[in-house]
Amino acid sequence: MPKQEIDAEDLFNLSLSIVGLVLRDGPMSSKELALHFGYSEKTVVRAVKTIANSEDIGRFETHFYVDEELLEKGEVDFSAGMAALRRPPLLSRRQTTALAAGLDFLAALPQFAGNVALSQIRSQIGSGTIPITILAAPAREETLQAIQQALLDKTQLVASYLNQLGEKSERDIDPLRVDYVGRRHYLRGWCHTNQAVRSFRLDRITKIENTDKPVSEAALLADVPLEVFGQIENETTVEIFATQEASEIFWNFPAIDIHRDPEGNVTGKIQVGSLKALGRHVARYAGQARVLSPRSAVEAVRQFALNARSGTLGPEDQD
Amino acid sequence: MSAGVSKQSPAERLFTLTCCLMAAPVIGLSKNDIFRSVVSYAEQQSDSAKEKMFDRDKSDLREMGVQLEVIDSNSFEETESARYRIAKGSFDWPAGFEINNEHMTLLELAAKAWNNQLLSKSAQSGLIRLRSLGVVDSSRQLSAFTPRLLAQQESFAPLADAIAEGKLVRFSYRKSTGTTSIREVTPLKLRFIEGQWVLLAKQAREIKNFLLRRIVSEVRSSELSGESVSTAQVDEAEAELVAFVTKNIAVLKVEQDSEAWWHFGAKDNGTVEVNFMDEALFAEDLMEFGPEVQVLSPLSLSQRIDSGWQRVLDAHA
Repeated sequence: MPKQEIDAEDLFNLSLSIVGLVLRDGPMSSKELALHFGYSEKTVVRAVKTIANSEDIGRFETHFYVDEELLEKGEVDFSAGMAALRRPPLLSRRQTTALAAGLDFLAALPQFAGNVALSQIRSQIGSGTIPITILAAPAREETLQAIQQALLDKTQLVASYLNQLGEKSERDIDPLRVDYVGRRHYLRGWCHTNQAVRSFRLDRITKIENTDKPVSEAALLADVPLEVFGQIENETTVEIFATQEASEIFWNFPAIDIHRDPEGNVTGKIQVGSLKALGRHVARYAGQARVLSPRSAVEAVRQFALNARSGTLGPEDQD
Repeated sequence: MSAGVSKQSPAERLFTLTCCLMAAPVIGLSKNDIFRSVVSYAEQQSDSAKEKMFDRDKSDLREMGVQLEVIDSNSFEETESARYRIAKGSFDWPAGFEINNEHMTLLELAAKAWNNQLLSKSAQSGLIRLRSLGVVDSSRQLSAFTPRLLAQQESFAPLADAIAEGKLVRFSYRKSTGTTSIREVTPLKLRFIEGQWVLLAKQAREIKNFLLRRIVSEVRSSELSGESVSTAQVDEAEAELVAFVTKNIAVLKVEQDSEAWWHFGAKDNGTVEVNFMDEALFAEDLMEFGPEVQVLSPLSLSQRIDSGWQRVLDAHA
């Protein structure tokens, strides 16, 4: 949906950008400009009026002559009077930082490995030309390609999935989108087993196949929540202490009552669907994250570390 | 003041100011020229109100990438005799700078990745500016892909500001060995590498990499300008990091058909070679797989993980 509200900075930026485009490509309708820049027609008209109202009152000269009659009819046309302005300025350092960091982020994703266009635009925007190392396995790329094809064809997928408890299942999934959050890919899709939108981590999909079946009506009507962890049922509230370096543990769960002390250490509560799966999330921080309560959660982490140290799978970890 | 000119909005004022400065002769405009030309200044009741408004506008223009120059032959300070102009070339896009539909799709994804966080507004306004270079259709292929950056470290925003403003910053940094020291650096670039935000910055004479998660204090920006660094120097530092990561190889044995097996794409005998950037961070990633992964080499990684398990047990006795 086009943005309706715009502040002075963005209106100024849009006006400069409209000058650049119209002087380059000629007259356009306000509707086309709205579509192109992602703003409402009303906002485009405000930006054109900003261009029109740029008279130099000291010299009684106008920078741009805007055809007001045409503007009333939804056409944007103007000529440069005394204006030397022909296009917007180069990107600001902040705009460059924002876009370059976003492009770097894309360059770290397996599906963009070796992407020529990405390499070209990174070099132009100042994100760099150096390729970024990617650790993901090639199999992930094949999985991604299958999903992207199904998304384009609007068809169902059949996937073998290994959940975080090591439980295997076959799922019929209507793909809705692929999210890359933090450092993991998730397939967000309508799960026919659960009759609900679910998130599937791509590195836990062990096999995936496209089908010819069209996606269901329910999937087309479904909302995809922003957060990948979704609704947790029968959750346990676990109190955690983490040093500043391990505080990212709170980003991976619904978290409440977060307190940060002057040294940067964080104490708070997370909601966990399965205590059995908690061990891995806490243990990775090698003692920098610690479960305070309940005792059952402390014991779950301890058991995970004991099993890992002895190199054996606990009975509950085996299928 | 000419008849028929309506009261200007702040955007109109900035736009008119930019137009006047762009149309100025090589020697620029004096402050009085500007105050006479832009209706919003002319309408102000007092000189101090004009000055205040002009100061704010200069700062806004610079923040938005309009390189405003002050020429003053009498002083290093900005005085009444100062003249203002826009730096040559600041509106000149490089010859051959063209955006095709694939580029635009990637830029849109890069902006979308900010998902209303920190730099989302700057990414979107940059995108608008790039769209002025022509009408291209973005690719349908990637429309269902939603990358989402997580830049939740508190140090991210002040570092991004310091990069934008070219300022020196100071922070406490804790190395993986546990030693903490104060660093004074010129931040150059924020990069996302292997799931971690890394700051590329110049400290003394060297360009170094700092993991944001190891910055353990507030980032304080100095009034002092940072050191200038050429693009070639940045490229060289980035290439060095890639070479470093390429050299760091771990050999792992993973449990057949386990999550680790699928995660690392293991085949046949379950032995995989993996590159890593930072041993301590890689150890964390491996510990998440518990007994499913065994480190065959290097020994330092294997020992780090062993002592990590002991610390987990001590913390959960």
